[in-house]
Amino acid sequence: MFRQTPLKTLTFAAILAGLAAYTLTGGTFAKELVIDIAVLAILAISLDLIAGYGGMISLGHGAVSGAGAYAFAAATVLLGASPVAGLLGAILLAAAFGAAIGAVTARTRGIYFIMATMAFGQMAYVLVFDSKVLGGDDGLPGLPRLDLSGAGIDLQSPASFALFCLALLALTYVLAAALLRSGFGRTLCGIRENEDRMRALGVTVWRFKAAAFGFSGVFAGLSGALAAQHTMFVSPELLTWTVSGEVLVVVILGGLGTLTGPVAGAVFLVFLKHVSSGLTSYWHLIIGLSLILAVVSGGRGIYGGLEKYIESRLAHRSKSPVRPREGAVAAEVQADA
Amino acid sequence: MLEAIDLCKSFGSLTVTNGVSFRLEKGERRAVLGPNGAGKTTLFNLLAGQLAPSSGEIRLDGKNVTSCSVEARARMGLARSYQKNNLFNGLTVGENLSLAAASALGYGGWLLRDSLGSKRVREVAEDVAAQVGLAGLLDAPVAQCPYGTRRQLEVGIALASRPKVLLMDEPASGAGPGMIEALHRLLKSLPRDLTILIIEHDMDLAFDIADRITVLNYGKAVFEGTPEETRKSPLVGEIYLGDWDSHA
Repeated sequence: MFRQTPLKTLTFAAILAGLAAYTLTGGTFAKELVIDIAVLAILAISLDLIAGYGGMISLGHGAVSGAGAYAFAAATVLLGASPVAGLLGAILLAAAFGAAIGAVTARTRGIYFIMATMAFGQMAYVLVFDSKVLGGDDGLPGLPRLDLSGAGIDLQSPASFALFCLALLALTYVLAAALLRSGFGRTLCGIRENEDRMRALGVTVWRFKAAAFGFSGVFAGLSGALAAQHTMFVSPELLTWTVSGEVLVVVILGGLGTLTGPVAGAVFLVFLKHVSSGLTSYWHLIIGLSLILAVVSGGRGIYGGLEKYIESRLAHRSKSPVRPREGAVAAEVQADA
Repeated sequence: MLEAIDLCKSFGSLTVTNGVSFRLEKGERRAVLGPNGAGKTTLFNLLAGQLAPSSGEIRLDGKNVTSCSVEARARMGLARSYQKNNLFNGLTVGENLSLAAASALGYGGWLLRDSLGSKRVREVAEDVAAQVGLAGLLDAPVAQCPYGTRRQLEVGIALASRPKVLLMDEPASGAGPGMIEALHRLLKSLPRDLTILIIEHDMDLAFDIADRITVLNYGKAVFEGTPEETRKSPLVGEIYLGDWDSHA
């Protein structure tokens, strides 16, 4: 069951503060890295919502995010809508797409569920790839960014856009935590633990699964719209199943079902990619080895492992007999004398 | 309250439930007896909606629920406990009971409030925990609880869902004498308007709490009567109780 522990809050706050400081003190490349991390972290939180707390491992999440990116692109470039309307459209379309995937796949389990979500993703990819209106394999260029000049914020500036993405990451985290703490989130955890028993308690499981996918789609759509604004370009590559695979790697590396873990995983993966690709052209091997290490070392991931370590230390300390300080003992001896 | 009309269930050429009919009035406690393989658990699965009957009809509170889903029947007030523990093993005892209570109260879909933090849910969970003897164990992780505690929780989850009709599939299965005695007291203490259908191999327990008894054999209901009539029935003695006279 989800609990927003002080460790979760502190870790997330520390990551956010660190990324903000890196944005403000680093160069242009640092800002690009922070944007990549924020966009990936939002998508990872979105996946953790259904995979970590709902037990639904999806390989179609890249497509949900990609649908959001394309909705933003189509609304702004093809229909001439404002970026705000494009952003809302992206979120709504991704939520609807997510809910549709959830509703159709809810009755499948295990490998069949994974394959069904992947099939949805690949269908979306082919649809976009073959669509002349959406630019086919050339994609759509010339996307605008949100205009916040009224508030004195210039999102064309990399620093401002990076901080804006971090603010939306924080908002995503707060909303996801609130959802997981709600009655809906509790029921979702119950479904993950024992779907059949929840059904016997009167819960219409497929509706909750579809709704969870829909909520997850809101965040995935936001992530896609931000990715589209970042590069000001969308292409079918955004919808491939390898994107979904990478997000799943991020969630597992950080800690499945921990909410904070996927954010830590996004930071780790983006920096690891950056550092290791500078060292060797075989950097994928390093990422693969990291994933294997994360899985074989208990499967808790970076944050999950940290949480477990701290919990066990605290439990060990609370079981240890209290040792009086030397000074206190001396004082007692003197008093007795 | 709960009625089975000529209920049949076949798996291929094997007929597991064969024309079973009975009617439970509100507040009635009925035990279903029968040797292993008589079709008792299959009957429960049909009544709860986990299996669809090959033919026949099931009525709950006067409504035909034969084609209703498990969850729809549960929302109409039908709850069950399982022969093999079917718990939320990754959660605590309190969370198990609270999930059941929140679902029954309709708080499971709340988006802006925590269902488990609700005063009403906590009250139900604490009341049921006290009822089934788990009052001091609300924070205990289920995975670390002994078997007996899990059996108590199995019954507790069913009770926390505030049912009108409770199906109990061998609640004393695998339990020691102390727990059977506690279960006996619990069943006697339940509100009289709660309708209970129970499968139980512990004869003392079944005969003491049941108003009526249905005996199944090879999927057929071969006998129905009061506990006293059941004790005296030569047919029941022959097919199931065998040495009941010496036992009594």
